[in-house]
Amino acid sequence: MCPRVSVLPQNTFARAYRRYGLSGVIAAVLAAGFLLAPLIPGQFWIYVATEILILGLFAMSFNMLHGYMGQISFGHAAFFGLGAYATGLLMRFFRPSGGEIGYLEFFLSLLAAPPVAAMGALVISIFCVRLTGIYFAILTLAFGELLYYIVFSWYSFTKGDDGVQGLLPPPFFQDPVNFYYFTFAVVLAAMFLMWRILESPFGYTLRMLRDNQRRAAFLGINVRLHMSANFVIAGAFAGIAGALWGPFERSIAPGLLGWQESGIAVFMALIGGSKFFIGPMVGSAIYTFLQAFVTIYTVYWPLTIGLVIMMIVLFAPGGTLGLIEDLLKRIGKVGAAAAEQRDTANQDGTAP
Amino acid sequence: MVLFLLSAGLSLIFGVMNILNFAHATFWLLAGYITVTIYNYLLGYFEPGFYLLIPAVVAATAIMIVVGLVVERFLIRRMYNRELAEQLLLTFALVLILGDVIKLIWGVENRRIFVPVTPVEAFGAFINPYYFFLIGAGLAVAIGLWVFLHRTKYGKIVRAAVYSREMVSALGIRIPLIYAGVFAAGIGIAAFAAGIFSPLLPMALGVDIDIIIQCFAVVVIGGFGSILGTFVASLLVGVVYSFSILLWPDGALAVIFLIVIAVLTWRPWGLFGTELRS
Repeated sequence: MCPRVSVLPQNTFARAYRRYGLSGVIAAVLAAGFLLAPLIPGQFWIYVATEILILGLFAMSFNMLHGYMGQISFGHAAFFGLGAYATGLLMRFFRPSGGEIGYLEFFLSLLAAPPVAAMGALVISIFCVRLTGIYFAILTLAFGELLYYIVFSWYSFTKGDDGVQGLLPPPFFQDPVNFYYFTFAVVLAAMFLMWRILESPFGYTLRMLRDNQRRAAFLGINVRLHMSANFVIAGAFAGIAGALWGPFERSIAPGLLGWQESGIAVFMALIGGSKFFIGPMVGSAIYTFLQAFVTIYTVYWPLTIGLVIMMIVLFAPGGTLGLIEDLLKRIGKVGAAAAEQRDTANQDGTAP
Repeated sequence: MVLFLLSAGLSLIFGVMNILNFAHATFWLLAGYITVTIYNYLLGYFEPGFYLLIPAVVAATAIMIVVGLVVERFLIRRMYNRELAEQLLLTFALVLILGDVIKLIWGVENRRIFVPVTPVEAFGAFINPYYFFLIGAGLAVAIGLWVFLHRTKYGKIVRAAVYSREMVSALGIRIPLIYAGVFAAGIGIAAFAAGIFSPLLPMALGVDIDIIIQCFAVVVIGGFGSILGTFVASLLVGVVYSFSILLWPDGALAVIFLIVIAVLTWRPWGLFGTELRS
């Protein structure tokens, strides 16, 4: 069997591809891109890049359930929102009248988000891991909506429909570029942690649950425990993304917990390619960039993204990265075939 | 009743085709706009009145059945052997696309029909007689569906397809034809519901998103593919919703979702469903 990318030069790119797969290469390209992103003139694109990172982390945490465990959660935004509200309400607690917040208090507020989101995920997972497939999707949807309506109607605690406004981070982070690099660092660290978890024996157990749950159970794996653990971990990661959202947007609203927000994570994972670790981040880049770009020109953003999703589902079910991998394979095959032809020709002695 | 009519189609489509149609309420909304447009067109030629609604509803239902057939043929049919996530996303993409198509054609203003009525006195209160008609129409559809599914040959084929599509297909029955029929019928019922409710419910953008979630709740509570279950569940959801609005106005839907969670935990296949697909 020839290596898939035999046609590519034996350089670092090909080596990285073989070592870390497509995800690794794309991750390196993305990381370089994100590092240089602030060089683009105009604050607008800094905001877009920050949004890509935050929503990308959210979508990747969703993909821990979808791509690796084979379940669709339509309530994943609940944990994103819980994280956002944990941070937002704590910031409000430290500065009841609004305004700037100290560095220590800021970091404390951020740190509170993942545990809160994880606790929420733990309670919900007790019910959800008993089901799979469409029932899992609907139950997570129901829990997400339940939390949404609780946040929506508990005015005295969450300010209900008004949301929480004026979440000003400390002076250093008020500069969009600084906040952007801070977000970049946090997201990168979270992604590294996620990668370690998903490449651990635990991560491979999840893949087995995705491929054949019954067989996994026969092998003595506690299916529900593993699903539950993953659900909680994914919830915590969504909480990290949510924590960054409040200080980034300067406000939070109950909509962050709603099922349409969950739908965004599903879109991103599918657009990028849910079979790839980095897929949802690519999806987030495409989705968020497209949204920023399209909404400049037209109000018909749902129509645009709807058509994009339809095209992806119909013609590229593996997402963008799946498309790229297919292309690379095809190039590889063509290259391999060409090399083979050359070899045979050489043996015949007819060619130089 | 509108909840029942929508959920019945949704439940039928899921039960038979195993596809959860996020766009169901969006088709319903589209049908509502079409009904309103036809009705207003007819107003230019005839006196306003209840009887004008009949051609509008019939025409809108017919148009939506054709739309349903086209959508099934070119989009849904490609999805039968795909993963759950892709099926959900395709129908969700339809929600976004159709929603914007409505916005493009009809704009952002709410649309509704004004039908002149004279209130009648019943049970000591003045009630719009149209409500009685709606309840009757809903019951008629429910009974008609039940009779079709349980007492006719084609209904038996459809029910058989719920249990085992391989077996039905092995018996020489053309499954794609049945699927197309069921999908179009589901959308037709939704269109009919939109038509007869258009004098009461203003058609507005975004209503579909609110209502589809409630329909999911109804279908889950009643059990996928069960008409009786859907009927009971829509009554339950409707009554519980109305009473919780009195007690906890903002959180009325939260109560519905508590019921959904309880049902899914206790009987994932719904109150009246069978355990087959759990």
